[in-house]
Amino acid sequence: MVAAIAVGIGAYMTIINVDYVMSSNPIPHRSDVLFHVEVDSWQPNKAYYEPDHPPEQVTYMDGIALLEAGKARRQVLSYKTGRVLEPQGEGERPFELESRSTSADFFAMFDTPFVYGGGWDKSADDNEEYVVVISKEINERLFGGENSVGQTLVMNGDPYRVSGVMDTWQPMPKFYDVNNGPFEEVEEVFLPLSVAIANEFGSYGNTSCWKAPEGGWEGRLASECIWLQFWVELHSENERQEYLAFLEAYVETQKAVGRFPRPTNNRLNNVMEWMEYQEVVAEDVGVLKGLSLLFLVVCLLNTIGLLLAKVTRQVGDISLRRALGASRRDVFSQYIVEAGVIGLAGGLLGVAMTWLGLQGIKSLYGELEFISRLVAMDWPVIFAAIVLAIIAALAAALYPTWKASGVHPASQLKAL
Amino acid sequence: MLSMQNISKVYRTDTVETHALREFSLNVDEGEFVSVTGPSGSGKTTFLNTAGLLEEFSSGTYELDGRDVSGLNDTERSRLRNEKIGFIFQSFNLIPELDVFDNVDVPLRYRGFDAAERKKRIDHVLDIVGLGSRNKHLPSQLSGGQQQRVAIARALAGAPRFLLADEPTGNLDSHMADSVMDLLSEINREGTTIIMVTHEPSLASRAHRNILVLDGQVGTSEPELHLAAQTA
Amino acid sequence: MELGPIWRALMRNKTSYVLIALQIAVTMAIMVNAIGIVQERSQQMARPSGVDEENIFYLSSVVFDPDVDREALISEDLDAIRNFPGVRNAILSNTVPLRGGGWSEGITLEPDPDLESTGVAIYFTDEHGIDTFGVDLIAGRNFEPTEVDWHDFDSDAWPPLAIVTRAMAEELFPDTPLNDVPGKTVYIHDTKPVTIIGITARMQAAWNSWSGVERSMLVPVKRATSGVRYVIRAEAGYRDEIMPQIEEMLASSSGDRIVRNMKTMEETRQRSYLEDSSMVKLLLFIVTVLTSITGLGIVGLASFSVARRTKQIGTRRALGATRPAILRYFMLENFVISTVGVIGGAIIAIGINMWMIEAFGLQRIAWYLIPAAMVTLWLVGQLAVYGPARRATMVSPALATRSV
Repeated sequence: MVAAIAVGIGAYMTIINVDYVMSSNPIPHRSDVLFHVEVDSWQPNKAYYEPDHPPEQVTYMDGIALLEAGKARRQVLSYKTGRVLEPQGEGERPFELESRSTSADFFAMFDTPFVYGGGWDKSADDNEEYVVVISKEINERLFGGENSVGQTLVMNGDPYRVSGVMDTWQPMPKFYDVNNGPFEEVEEVFLPLSVAIANEFGSYGNTSCWKAPEGGWEGRLASECIWLQFWVELHSENERQEYLAFLEAYVETQKAVGRFPRPTNNRLNNVMEWMEYQEVVAEDVGVLKGLSLLFLVVCLLNTIGLLLAKVTRQVGDISLRRALGASRRDVFSQYIVEAGVIGLAGGLLGVAMTWLGLQGIKSLYGELEFISRLVAMDWPVIFAAIVLAIIAALAAALYPTWKASGVHPASQLKAL
Repeated sequence: MLSMQNISKVYRTDTVETHALREFSLNVDEGEFVSVTGPSGSGKTTFLNTAGLLEEFSSGTYELDGRDVSGLNDTERSRLRNEKIGFIFQSFNLIPELDVFDNVDVPLRYRGFDAAERKKRIDHVLDIVGLGSRNKHLPSQLSGGQQQRVAIARALAGAPRFLLADEPTGNLDSHMADSVMDLLSEINREGTTIIMVTHEPSLASRAHRNILVLDGQVGTSEPELHLAAQTA
Repeated sequence: MELGPIWRALMRNKTSYVLIALQIAVTMAIMVNAIGIVQERSQQMARPSGVDEENIFYLSSVVFDPDVDREALISEDLDAIRNFPGVRNAILSNTVPLRGGGWSEGITLEPDPDLESTGVAIYFTDEHGIDTFGVDLIAGRNFEPTEVDWHDFDSDAWPPLAIVTRAMAEELFPDTPLNDVPGKTVYIHDTKPVTIIGITARMQAAWNSWSGVERSMLVPVKRATSGVRYVIRAEAGYRDEIMPQIEEMLASSSGDRIVRNMKTMEETRQRSYLEDSSMVKLLLFIVTVLTSITGLGIVGLASFSVARRTKQIGTRRALGATRPAILRYFMLENFVISTVGVIGGAIIAIGINMWMIEAFGLQRIAWYLIPAAMVTLWLVGQLAVYGPARRATMVSPALATRSV
């Protein structure tokens, strides 16, 4: 009985764990003041994504215009790129870095933790200063983990001043740039957007264009290609409405110069809304959730059967007990308590099974780099598993226990 | 019709050898009503099982209807039981999930009769026992006496060579017991051989003759013994 | 056959039998849908990419000296690679099939910007492309070396020639016989004409779940970017041996470059279908465990059911049932319960499938899965009940006369 419950709980909670992590709030303390902005700059005769989704990224023209308008409390425009770091030491080979070029507000908006120093300010953006924020790992590798604020490092031949060392930060999912892999690792190096644009750092993320860009970097900047992510920070419904109004006005101005051929379709999605919209949780997870729930049902039916058999086997015992004075309620509560204990045992064993299941998932999907985060078991999941097991056991026990308490005193005594 | 000669049944365990029947002999003719009595532990049940081909015996010969039944395999014995013997048990042994009709039907299905034949026989025997109107009742809906009547009907349905009854009224009150015994006497008068095992002398008196079993052996078979017990 | 009495008896004492039937039903529903998904995914994974997966590997080379003559460097690299012993051919390209990242464009039949375009995956290549990828040219011709151009990474020029896959040709010109398609002109970037000069049998795009995965186009362009990808086809059997050698050769050939991300096509395919293959394994595992649990559950309940009825079994034996008759009784009883279960299971399975089609866009299951699952579960049930049923046959007829 315990085994039946444990296996069912194990299977179900394994998937629930994956689902829970995949759909968890990556930044709970700020998730409802951060909004992803979408405006529909797409082609006239076909939506970006049926039926009427606007593009998931913005063009440079729109992004920079919205950034400079500064109408939200804070705003950030960024894109993924790559740099080659050239260590200045002897015999050290250069290596490539996943990088993000971004405007200054990134760090404040997303509340990134720092070990040393911090981000840069708006003036650094405006002056195209060669300043970087590096990850803890890079700091270890280049500066032995010391406080490297003010130190220089060279990327692609250019020297950059370190303004801060970011602490380990792995929002799960990587909500600020879901397009390029919702569970990818955070970039190792952050540098100012203005520097990247001025020096023509190409995008390492997804670029989509409905209209062919003119040649050259200038052409790309002036094109209808979408390749940047734009987020704003708004603190009240009022601010949200105001910003939406601003977006509408902006789109009007663009329509007036012949852009934005589609009907106005501005979206402001907060973090959770954005992820749901992006369907970050893989479909397979949904399918497995359904199937594993049914699996649990089968295990429960098994348990009901076993309990029923047990009660029927003990009918003589119960009858005797009732003849000796036990009340219906005594019998009922005895079996219910037993069921609760079975549920508890099943839950504990089920947690072990869940852990096993997650290891199995890990070995199956191991090549996916982010998998170890998905299979980490959290306390809420453990707790949920045990509670679910107890509830399931009690539910399964209801019918058999009701039958048990209905046994008449001494009805079976003749057969004893 | 039935002839048991020097039947012995020995139960052997690692440590103990029990002689449940010793050199037991019995002849029963067609149409007889024979009772087998004795105190508990005397070997009555072993006799019952042996006569009813429910158990094998260790030595001796047993001829049923002219046929030697020793050395038969399980399937042959089962067939023989099915065709020749009608059992009546102390606790009725009706199958609780089946209604009266299906209960009587059980041995007929093993016989292999077709549906029409079975229905004819079942209706006939239920009529004999007076329960023709209770086809669809479940055993739990019948009184003890009625249940035993159904069991009797079941035993008769296959037209067996003899009825083998084990304390047929043991679980009945005296009123029902009487009516069941009346029924058995009636059936015997119609020509069916009956062998009845009981420990009650009053029941044994209903039979034509009585065999006394003591320590696995046959005691006297005089009815005088009963009279002695009654007047004592 | 005691079908009537068995059925009537079951109807009177439904509970434990309903449990078995329900278990069978739900198990069947899961089994049918899971196997349906396994089938679907397996079919997906079986699609060939069209290229020589056994022998192709690729790597990236990043040169970050901005003053280097990229065209010269790339030409040198390709020469060195092509002449390397064990290499059959090599090209400079942007991606390979199933890699997950690539380039796509929209193609129209007329130079009209308002027309809906057909998406196609782009592979930049030169005249060695067809041999390097190992694709079959089934109509038209390959590129001439003179037709291949060098482009800068942000150039918006587009060559006037292309080789497309058969699927693309059929999509664009459904009524034209394949051999007549070479020579036709289509338009890219709204107005730029492109003449199709050749047709390949098959070459998948980089995204295996894209509806247009069979539509790709070879374009005679070499893009002189700072980070480049070389696609190399080894001679049969040499791949593993030369891979580290080629990497070493490139890394040390001219300074200041990083060679990385070397992968084989086989690895790429595996990674591309990782989720599908894992899902298949997971589902097969679940179905196996589930069937075992249900089987064991039936064994348990059947054992209990037999133990509860020993008196009845003894009585039946006394009344003349042979041992085989008792066995048949319990096997038949289980068969009846299983039948109710699988019929219910079929209904639930279809219901669940419809829900999953709705919720997850899955496919409808093949019709024969239902009878196949029914037969499987019938067998499982009969196997499970056999043990307890055999024990039932060993009940002695003498049990009927025992007074307890």
